[in-house]
Amino acid sequence: MISHQKATPVAILGSGLIGTDLLLKIQRSELLECKLFIGRSLNSPGLAKASSLGVPISDKSIDAILENPDCCEIVFDATSARDHLRHWPVLKRLGKRVIDLTPAKVGKMCIPAVNLAECLDEQNVNMVTCGGQASLPLIYLLGKTQEQVEYIEIVSSIASRSAGPATRINIDEYIETTESAILAISGAQRAKVILILNPAIPCIDMQTTIFAKVPEPRIEPLRLAVETMVARIRSYVPGYQIILGPIVEGGRIVIMVKVQGRGDYLPKYAGNLDIINCAAIAMAEEYARESLRVAERLELDHA
Amino acid sequence: MSTSVIDALQNDCAGSAGADIRDLLPLRGAHILITGGTGFVGTWVAQMVAYLNDCHQFGIKLTLLSPHASEFSSRAPHLACRADVRLFDGDVRNLADLPQESEWVIHAAGSPDSRIHFSNPVRTMETIVSGTQAVLNAASRLTPLQRILSLSSGLVYGPQRWEDAPLSEKVFSGFDCANPAGLYAESKRAAEMVAAAYRSQFGLPVLSARLFAFIGPFQLLDRPWAINNFLRDALRGGPIRVQGNGETVRSYMYGSDLAYWLLRLLVSGKIGAAYNVGSPVGISLKDLAVKIAECFPRRPSIDLNTLPAAGIPRTQWLPDITMARTDCDLRVQTNLDQAITRTVAWHTRQ
Amino acid sequence: MRKVLISDPTLRDGNHAVQHKLNLAQVAAYARAADNAGIPIVEVGHGNGLAASSLQVGLSAVSDRDMLTTARENLLQSKLSIHVMPGFATIKRDLSLAIDIGVDVVRVACHCSEADITQRHIAYVRERGKQVFGVLMMTHMLTKEQLAEESLKMESYGAEAIMLMDSAGALLPTDVAERVRTLVQALHIPVGFHAHNNLGMAVANSITALESGAAILDGTARGFGAGAGNTQLEVLVAVLNKMGYETGIDLYKMLDAADLAERELMPSIPTIKSISIVSGLAGVFSGFAKHVDRVSLQFHVDPRDVFFELGRRRVVAGQEDLIIEVASAMASRQAKPLEVVR
Repeated sequence: MISHQKATPVAILGSGLIGTDLLLKIQRSELLECKLFIGRSLNSPGLAKASSLGVPISDKSIDAILENPDCCEIVFDATSARDHLRHWPVLKRLGKRVIDLTPAKVGKMCIPAVNLAECLDEQNVNMVTCGGQASLPLIYLLGKTQEQVEYIEIVSSIASRSAGPATRINIDEYIETTESAILAISGAQRAKVILILNPAIPCIDMQTTIFAKVPEPRIEPLRLAVETMVARIRSYVPGYQIILGPIVEGGRIVIMVKVQGRGDYLPKYAGNLDIINCAAIAMAEEYARESLRVAERLELDHA
Repeated sequence: MSTSVIDALQNDCAGSAGADIRDLLPLRGAHILITGGTGFVGTWVAQMVAYLNDCHQFGIKLTLLSPHASEFSSRAPHLACRADVRLFDGDVRNLADLPQESEWVIHAAGSPDSRIHFSNPVRTMETIVSGTQAVLNAASRLTPLQRILSLSSGLVYGPQRWEDAPLSEKVFSGFDCANPAGLYAESKRAAEMVAAAYRSQFGLPVLSARLFAFIGPFQLLDRPWAINNFLRDALRGGPIRVQGNGETVRSYMYGSDLAYWLLRLLVSGKIGAAYNVGSPVGISLKDLAVKIAECFPRRPSIDLNTLPAAGIPRTQWLPDITMARTDCDLRVQTNLDQAITRTVAWHTRQ
Repeated sequence: MRKVLISDPTLRDGNHAVQHKLNLAQVAAYARAADNAGIPIVEVGHGNGLAASSLQVGLSAVSDRDMLTTARENLLQSKLSIHVMPGFATIKRDLSLAIDIGVDVVRVACHCSEADITQRHIAYVRERGKQVFGVLMMTHMLTKEQLAEESLKMESYGAEAIMLMDSAGALLPTDVAERVRTLVQALHIPVGFHAHNNLGMAVANSITALESGAAILDGTARGFGAGAGNTQLEVLVAVLNKMGYETGIDLYKMLDAADLAERELMPSIPTIKSISIVSGLAGVFSGFAKHVDRVSLQFHVDPRDVFFELGRRRVVAGQEDLIIEVASAMASRQAKPLEVVR
């Protein structure tokens, strides 16, 4: 009755900054092994990096998985919304677990500190947005600890250099997606999301401020819950810290969060991008643990 | 797309090509490849090929290579469904191989959309410079290759004074290369130099065309060029807003003329040469607005000087097309009035 | 006679001075007076523009929809304008509604180094057939060459003019001249200037801008606006008259409008207070003043120190939350040991 601790095989679609950073995080994980790192062009620096680490690479995009479907159980999609819409039907048919890091958002919204267990049943989960990952666990607590939440507002400041052309042209989508997520997870009546790009050099880390309008704020239960929650978040995002609050200031609850990235492939100040990757890894590792649990149970049954 | 619209496009091509199409006979039964083939240029060349195949039994097989191959069917459904047109999904930045049967290549990859040049100059440069290198590299291994026509831009001449127009192929000035404002023009210049390098070192049969400004069906009106803005304003019922006093001068060649010119240059242009492609007939933006307004039964009004423009220099950007005329006997067939009328008719029907 | 286009954000920038609490009666009254005076463009809204009403920068007393509808009803000749910042206002939810209400001019604004976030908003306004300006804020923070590059991006997106804003009131006339001149040379669209009066230079800077090639100038009645206030519009109009520029504005009716504004809109006429001088020197956005005062009081720190620290950190408009962080950090550094009560 020996259970073999085996790493779950995964593939990464998308060899840009995000995909390459994911690869380096997976290399550190005992539960995951990257069996295929897929891009569109052998020219890509990400593929070169992967190759130098001995990870199998391909420039065939989704065809690489179609040609070798047994190579992986989990697929991270770090391409684009448009490409994910093409990839998903294929991966669905192949029965792969998909973690969507694009803005496509066809699957369930995944906030590891909040709904990891529920996501285990889903074949496709998405990582929402950077502001979402940073604030939603705490916003969830607001919903849980406060009698009534009238209004939630989050303001995220990110370093200009961490916002590439794709971010800049999709600010409206970021706002809309994050606002829906806030309303869904907190039960608040109204939500507002603000995004600010800060060009200061040296680059600032991602900072998110959460404001909540609550008729009768109960700070103590919130403070305790936040402490526990932050500890949980830090288990997968080590650079996450509360820098202020929760306090009541000017008739509103205020919490300020700062996220510094790990600096695996993305620069450290890109905490906004790093937190999404960390969350994606946390989800994948949970799938992996689930797989092992299932395998163990099967072994026990057959013993 | 209705039959009458398709017929109109066929007629345009017939008019541009003229009765005597002997000069294009080398293309009979040939494989033509267009990179960036689903843009305005590629679509018009495809339209001209359709005409040559349908009305003159040319039997050309056309391949359009583009990262937006799927968008072609919405832009030109009547062409996308043709058996002689094949769509190839690919980005020149990632190119290792070109379809091995390609005999004639028009390299049109690289968006002239200046918004992209400013928002994503890195990708713009990669597509134009590295992309051209990748295409020429792959082309140098094509066994049946006849010729490559690389599309450049009339912007390569750099900043010019009013009195220097029309611009001949030799009037180069320079951009400040530390300033990304000149990035598109510099990338096109570098791409021409890449072509010269491949010609020199590998004897690759490549020549260039420097494109100016064009008008016609298949143009996406959201591109913020004056003529598109005028058309959009007019289609909305006006008023047509003209910045300043509208004295800037431009010229516009019609899409079917462009397509004919490119195929003729591809076949008969001198290897290693660069030809201006465009209309030498200039028109002020103010007069252009009037001509567009006249195409509408309920003529939209024209608002000049909606913002003060004192001190804003007027510019002229016109090609001297003597070289194309001398070497290939090329002329402008569709005049501006016809071009505008046809374009307005097409957009009104959309 | 040389023409200059005047744009009047009294009912928008002025909102900063009253914590965004202008009411509909005030909007109607001033809009009518401005329309009467022949002011070409009247800008209305929360101090930070469309959809900016928030806990972060302050809640407005009335909705954008009501403010714009009221203004629209009272502007018969003048154009109705709004200030729009991507990151606050979205196209679908906010901008499309504003244009439906009847906005004529949209000024899409961003921090001066981030022009590419304005691409979609500018394109949308052009699609809707309205007039769109690109606006660069905090222009003291970039060199003239960098400003030209950012302006060119906006021009490529379809902006029909570029406004340079001296949001912190930090520029001196030579700074203004070189920036405007560089932009005028680089662009094919008109350039405008929006001054703040922290160092007492607003009117002079505006005239300098004009003489350097600018074609559009902003000003507000009595200088009603954030911090030390904006260019005092009626003074500017008077000066322009004297210099022989044509504004299309009736001088007496302009003075009447300013008198009305003083009576109806503002609890006090803007003056240059110490804190404004400091924010001007520190290069920090004028709109922070009231927040800094309130938070500094709460944390028992000197607001002037807070401003200089914010300036050192190069904070941008919209980052009011940082004030709390800076004040709090300053307070902990200053914390005295507990005194034993005898």
